[in-house]
Amino acid sequence: MADRVERLTNLLALLLETRTPLSLTQIADELAGQYPDKAASRRGAFERDKAALREIGVPIEQEIVSGPEHAGQTRYWIDRERYELQGLELDPDETRALQVAMAATRPGSASGQEAMWKIGGGVLDSGATVAAVVPDAASLPVLREALATRASVRFTYRDVARRVDPWGVLLRSGFWYLVGHDHERDARRTYRIDRIDGDVVLDEPIAVSRPADFDPRDAVPDDPKLIGASGEITDATVWIDARRAAAVVRELGEDRVVERRDDGAVVVRVPCANLDAFRSWVLGFVDLAEVLAPDDVRAHVIGWLEATG
Amino acid sequence: MSRRGPRGAEDRLRRLLVMLPWLMERGEVSVAETAAHFGLSEAEIARDLELAAMCGLPPFVDEMIDVFIDDGMIWVGVPRLFTRPLRLNSVEAWELLAAGRAAMQLPGADPDGPLGRGLEKLARALGEDDTSGVRVDLERPEIADRLAPAIEAAERLRISYWSAARDEVTQRSIVPRQLFTDRGEWYVSADDDRSGSVRTFRLDRIEAIEETGELGAAVSGALPTPGEWFADADIPRAVVRLSPSAQWIVERYPTDEVGRPDADGWVEARLPVASRRWFVRTMLRLGPEARIVEPVELSDAVGEASIAVLARYRS
Repeated sequence: MADRVERLTNLLALLLETRTPLSLTQIADELAGQYPDKAASRRGAFERDKAALREIGVPIEQEIVSGPEHAGQTRYWIDRERYELQGLELDPDETRALQVAMAATRPGSASGQEAMWKIGGGVLDSGATVAAVVPDAASLPVLREALATRASVRFTYRDVARRVDPWGVLLRSGFWYLVGHDHERDARRTYRIDRIDGDVVLDEPIAVSRPADFDPRDAVPDDPKLIGASGEITDATVWIDARRAAAVVRELGEDRVVERRDDGAVVVRVPCANLDAFRSWVLGFVDLAEVLAPDDVRAHVIGWLEATG
Repeated sequence: MSRRGPRGAEDRLRRLLVMLPWLMERGEVSVAETAAHFGLSEAEIARDLELAAMCGLPPFVDEMIDVFIDDGMIWVGVPRLFTRPLRLNSVEAWELLAAGRAAMQLPGADPDGPLGRGLEKLARALGEDDTSGVRVDLERPEIADRLAPAIEAAERLRISYWSAARDEVTQRSIVPRQLFTDRGEWYVSADDDRSGSVRTFRLDRIEAIEETGELGAAVSGALPTPGEWFADADIPRAVVRLSPSAQWIVERYPTDEVGRPDADGWVEARLPVASRRWFVRTMLRLGPEARIVEPVELSDAVGEASIAVLARYRS
């Protein structure tokens, strides 16, 4: 019998070339001597080959014959339009740029490497001098498909089954977020994509249209101290020791400085609408920061410290 | 001809299907160049192409894949089948788009340059009618744009750097080698005169940066893959118990192992403690949402720190 790669290549060629769908018997006849003669083992070998081709992404079409003759027989073919990569037409410098981009952001990705070869690029170099670590999440490809085809998706998040019209995905602060319209809540919601349980399933076409000026960057606050904030944002005033003052002013901006003290310390206004994020930020300075006001926020931090250890 | 398992056959076919169109486009190319391009040995290339040349369907056996190898060169004749690669599957399409969009946020990226143009073509081919669906925000600080050209030129720079591990600002002379962002922070790896080795600095802790007008030596040795620079077996470890709301730290920071959640959702995690100050700071932030199981000296250190902060509030 022929080498398996040879048989797979021949099967692929046959299904691409044929003008009419072919039954297994016709396929075995064309590929003379390459499939076993016994019906059961022939079917087994063919099913394995079909699965292998589909696994590498070959779209094998099939139809079941109706009508008086050969009723119930399955016939196979490949639609060249659906098989071939078309319509990309990258110039060599564009392919090269995408290869550099992939090496800088997804250097270890096997699928990224495979994609690169398909578009004509080569082996990804390691050790890019300017790079971003772009995290992975299994449901990102299907979410992108849903966005492109304007389909709703279903998934489980925090133990609740959801149906969501996706409006955008955003990578920020090392995590991928999905923003969309949650049908059960009937409101816009943001989800951490790596926290989605199990698979994301494509569903019906999108029902709730995305606002025209929507940008996922506005929907996911870049300052965690603002996440979960609703209504008026409250500020706390915080004393920062001279040793950390410069860095804090750089982080918050000059307009947040309330007072500059002679010893180099500063007092700054900091959003504290999300109390957990705010407290976490302040305590990151250990004893080089102190909440001065409001009193309830100050009391909250003291209570937290008393319960620590 | 060697036989491989099913997995091997799929991989070889997958490679063949990208190799054939690439060869057809070139017509004539050396085995060595082909091997380098596809990350295979020259023997593997020769074996797979010889196999491809044997493939065929009656009655046009000779015409299907017209390829032969002689004297280290590959020739491909009149293309017939497999002239184009297989379409991108959804994972590959995602990989290209995400990589491209992320790279557009790196210093020096030009929306009108080859990457921008390539990405536009890609988005069109993938049916993205608007580009706001997939966004990457790397929150790039200004200083990154200053460091990128310095890496290119191997410039020596003087920096003031706040060391979180020691809580002091130090003056250092560095030659930056690699700039990267990981989990929302930006870093530069550089030859550091003070320690005489490569050190990684967080950009938001660089308080000042100054040119020296000098150039560093050419880079020697391969650069590490960003994101893999943490793990170090010599660093001491701590075991902590974490409530559900404290478990973000195992996503943010490296861990050796994380146990299964108990009935209340708490998990036990073992993590490297590269800096005692970092550990104390983090445990204060987690407060009652975390418990230190061991070692005792670290739990004592956290206790002392919390007393010190309380003392400030009560004075």
